[in-house]
Amino acid sequence: MSLLALFHWFEQTAIGNTIRQSHWLFPVIEAVHLLGLGFVGGEVLLVDLGLLGLGMGRKSVAQLSKDVGPWLIGSLAVMFATGIPLFLSESIKCYYSFAFWVKMGALFSVILFTFTVQRRVIRMPTARPWQFRFTALVSLILWSAVGWGGRWIGFS
Amino acid sequence: MRSRLLISLAGLMLVFCYFAITTNGTSVNSPGRGTRLTLESGSSEWTAFLASRKAVPLGTMLFEEGDNKGIGQSLVGFFGRLGDSTWSAGLHESRYAYDFIESIHVWTLCLFFGLAVMFDLRLLGWAMRDVPVAELARRLLPWTVAGFVIMVISGSLLFYAIPLRSFQSIFFRIKMIMLLLAGLNVLIFHSGIYQRVETWSLDAKPPRAARVAAAFSLVLWIGIVLSGRMIAYNWFDCDRQPQPAIVNFLTNCVPDGSGN
Repeated sequence: MSLLALFHWFEQTAIGNTIRQSHWLFPVIEAVHLLGLGFVGGEVLLVDLGLLGLGMGRKSVAQLSKDVGPWLIGSLAVMFATGIPLFLSESIKCYYSFAFWVKMGALFSVILFTFTVQRRVIRMPTARPWQFRFTALVSLILWSAVGWGGRWIGFS
Repeated sequence: MRSRLLISLAGLMLVFCYFAITTNGTSVNSPGRGTRLTLESGSSEWTAFLASRKAVPLGTMLFEEGDNKGIGQSLVGFFGRLGDSTWSAGLHESRYAYDFIESIHVWTLCLFFGLAVMFDLRLLGWAMRDVPVAELARRLLPWTVAGFVIMVISGSLLFYAIPLRSFQSIFFRIKMIMLLLAGLNVLIFHSGIYQRVETWSLDAKPPRAARVAAAFSLVLWIGIVLSGRMIAYNWFDCDRQPQPAIVNFLTNCVPDGSGN
């Protein structure tokens, strides 16, 4: 089965159909998705600004990221729970949208990066300042790409 | 006690202002987008210039005089003419500028809303319980202030690009009211319990007044984001009739041939 055929199948799922036929389901789900973005943004910025040495003290970053961790995972869960139905309702449009593929690429890279490389660097007792800054920059750039990609899916 | 008085006063003011805006006057000939001026015979080129739709210079957008119009319809006329000004139309019709500004508005959501929410969560005692409140505030504040400034600038530009429709949007009005309430909440928090922050900065669970302020802030900002997103949808727009009378009343909509 080709990828396009798979996306056609996604579009025909019951969830996708229900959302497409409703006037208000898509806007409401999308609004919650946007709220999730705000929460994820706050949690990511809190940790990354700390790592960059702008704002939070660097010593407390390990503690901070541990504190914020559950909220980040919770917010991401909300993002997926709302994002997947949105995708199912317009998967063909997404298939042909460049912004969608940018967003997906950035999203999976940044999740992988955050929970492997960045987390390890934060907890390393001997990490250098440049290592902190590097992981923060990578994380910020990738998350920005996710956000911009998401917004631009809607503009096409 | 003082804060309660402040809240009730502000609430009354808000209700008063809203109803002042929704007064539509008695004889309304609804100047919507593009006020139609009829040229009299023998008019000079200058009046023809003034009457043309798209070329209204910025300085001429005064409140209309004459006619018995309420504040609401004067504002409708004002925003209609604002929308007809060259810059506003240019921004609205540009290929990329509008989308770009809107992207900035959304992106800054993370900076402003995200960090404000993190602070609220700390005040509620739901996250970062061992970070001193005063320290968190001192470090987050510059970022949230910067975020808020970007939000206001980009948001004003978005409003300026589509002034009349935004002004008459029920969601925009809900958003503005909640924005005022959120501002009031900040004022009460900073002039009240936050004055004594040093005494409870280390508390894992801050005092009740602080938690109440944080809860209000959280609910209001979430409401602002949700209603802000809904401005994009035209379910209750003036040019989509019939609408329930209450919707038309609350949005200064005079259904009969109101522009567009």
